[in-house]
Amino acid sequence: MKHSSDEPSPASPRPPARAGAAQRADPLLERECDVFARYLSASAPSDYVRERYLAAHAAGVVEPPGGASRFERWVVRRASTATWLARALDAHQRVFANGSLLRRKLVLLLALLEVRAPHADALDTPTGSSRAAMLFVLAWLGVRFALTVALTTLVLAPFQLAFKLGARA
Amino acid sequence: MKHVVVVGSGASGVHFAQSALDNGWRVTLVDVGRTAPAAELPQASFAQLKGEHADPAGYFLGERFEGALFPGGKGEYYGFPPHKGYIFAPLDGLALRSRGFDPLLSFARGGLAEAWTGGSFPFTADELRDFPFEPERLLRYYGVIAGRIGVSGAVDDLARFLPGHEHLAPGLRLDVHSEALLGAYERAKPRLNRELRCFVGRSRSAVRADEREDRHGCTYLGRCLWSCPREALYTPSITLRALLRREGFTYIPDHVVTRVEADDSNRVKRVHARHVASGAALELDAPRVAFAAGTLASSKLLLDSLRAHGGAAPMLTGLMDNRQVLVPFVNLALLRKRVELDSYQYHQLALGLERDDPRHYVHGLVTTLKSALIHPIVQSVPLDLASSLWIFRNAHAALGLVNVNFHDERRESCSLSLETARDGSSTLLVRYEPAAQEPERIRSTLRDVKRALRQLGCFAPPGMTHVRPMGASVHYAGVLPMQHEGGALTTTPHGESRALGGLYFVDGSTFPFLPAKNLTFTLMANAARIADEAFGR
Repeated sequence: MKHSSDEPSPASPRPPARAGAAQRADPLLERECDVFARYLSASAPSDYVRERYLAAHAAGVVEPPGGASRFERWVVRRASTATWLARALDAHQRVFANGSLLRRKLVLLLALLEVRAPHADALDTPTGSSRAAMLFVLAWLGVRFALTVALTTLVLAPFQLAFKLGARA
Repeated sequence: MKHVVVVGSGASGVHFAQSALDNGWRVTLVDVGRTAPAAELPQASFAQLKGEHADPAGYFLGERFEGALFPGGKGEYYGFPPHKGYIFAPLDGLALRSRGFDPLLSFARGGLAEAWTGGSFPFTADELRDFPFEPERLLRYYGVIAGRIGVSGAVDDLARFLPGHEHLAPGLRLDVHSEALLGAYERAKPRLNRELRCFVGRSRSAVRADEREDRHGCTYLGRCLWSCPREALYTPSITLRALLRREGFTYIPDHVVTRVEADDSNRVKRVHARHVASGAALELDAPRVAFAAGTLASSKLLLDSLRAHGGAAPMLTGLMDNRQVLVPFVNLALLRKRVELDSYQYHQLALGLERDDPRHYVHGLVTTLKSALIHPIVQSVPLDLASSLWIFRNAHAALGLVNVNFHDERRESCSLSLETARDGSSTLLVRYEPAAQEPERIRSTLRDVKRALRQLGCFAPPGMTHVRPMGASVHYAGVLPMQHEGGALTTTPHGESRALGGLYFVDGSTFPFLPAKNLTFTLMANAARIADEAFGR
């Protein structure tokens, strides 16, 4: 199996800068892409992935059907500040708003990472742990997820209420 | 030289045309004929594409990211990749409405089988009991078709459900997971056979490992789902390309046939078509016409023709399709192993459940997960994405899917009819109602499938089983059944319409029964049979 760098092969059928040149830089989106990529893959995204992430936003495929609420946009802004916040808010949204803007952005980025070397290989390589260690980690992931959801629910409840009241006003 | 006009270039059409040409007939094939995009980096494997392609997101996810499956979306884990969109793209002017059925049509060169997974499963004599001819008359054509398209597999424990035939090549190299499952089956076989009447063996697929004069062998690039760039996996467009080189064959693409015209004695005399882009009319004089556009499109053509000929379009009843249920599973022995991407991607094994009535046999395609996209699966794990990804990395090689197929029978409540608008245009109405006993049949079968999986060292995660909507399998059949004798809405054993003489149905419209198997191999065999028996020298 051969994985090359992020540079395209000369034999490739499409020019690499096709959409890249067309995308304007958006520092906020780029930072968001960086934080989310580190959250998902523990590494920074390649230029290609970053450029495609911006292109998908420009194409309007990320917005949920019917549009995102102000609360959803606020959640995305908070999640894009640190990987631990991305994880916490992702856990909350997985339970309470699976189709939310944050979840859609994360899934889009996962889709982009999985189609591009070397991210693809990293996402698909077993961790090499023993069976006992794997069971332990599985249990830990479950417990951490439950605790995270409980905690974020408590923390986010006032904000959610405030956004709801704000929307009514 | 005698002349026949064939409508549609799918699996039935091209093999009917090939046999008719072999028998000395002149063949004109009219087709919309949308073409596939060129194969990109044809020597690169699935993994290599991710490093070598200039725009892998465009290739895997589509130019507009339409292949990305978002949470709550309607797509399936194993959905069609964007560049296969041309196969299912709708055609302006062909309107459909449906109830209880998700219809799919194709206007591609090669038709719906351009997107098939190669399953080539002959029907048994029991399953052919309602067909109005001796089973041997069809069974021998499985060998003819296997010689043309290249079918691999084995005569093993599944032979009781899948008759052997000529030109069955040895199966492809098994991927590690399929090999492990087959090994587990050998150990659990006595109990599985005795208690569950469950049998496992090699699947039969329209792909071969060896190079042949006109075809490449499979080199395990892992790109099957994205269309084999070496064309090792058979599709009907390969046959169409070969037909284009033959004398006596005329191909008219970019045209949609709108109806046939009949004379006063109710025999077809002319085919009416229009150019897809310009709308320009085309008329072809033809004393014999073979409809091979697929059950839905062929039926609509008949109804439109009858309406134009006699002023009324009747209702066609007996529409059939295979219900499919997807059962994902995890093989505990393969947890923490690395997935084998360089392998044949589709089903290499099959699972058969014997039933008291042999016609109620249940067929399961066992696909081990290799080079599919992972984001649709990872997002379905009920944890945050990073944790889900960690689990997936350690479980990827252990994941698989049984696609459980159920048989179907003709029922009055499943029908096709025509709704006519004031401007003269027509809409095909598709109605489907499952059999009353279906829920119980599915429930008891799934219980057996899950027990069988446990015997093989696997478990099916709760809540992940997915009953596909009717219509999703695209195994449509049955509205103009072949019968020895019957009314105007039946066909002769040669598929000739009893409403319009000289009009033959060589696709699935005429099947009087649908076993729990992909019917494509039988479509090809039956089309070749009709060509030999009714369009002989």
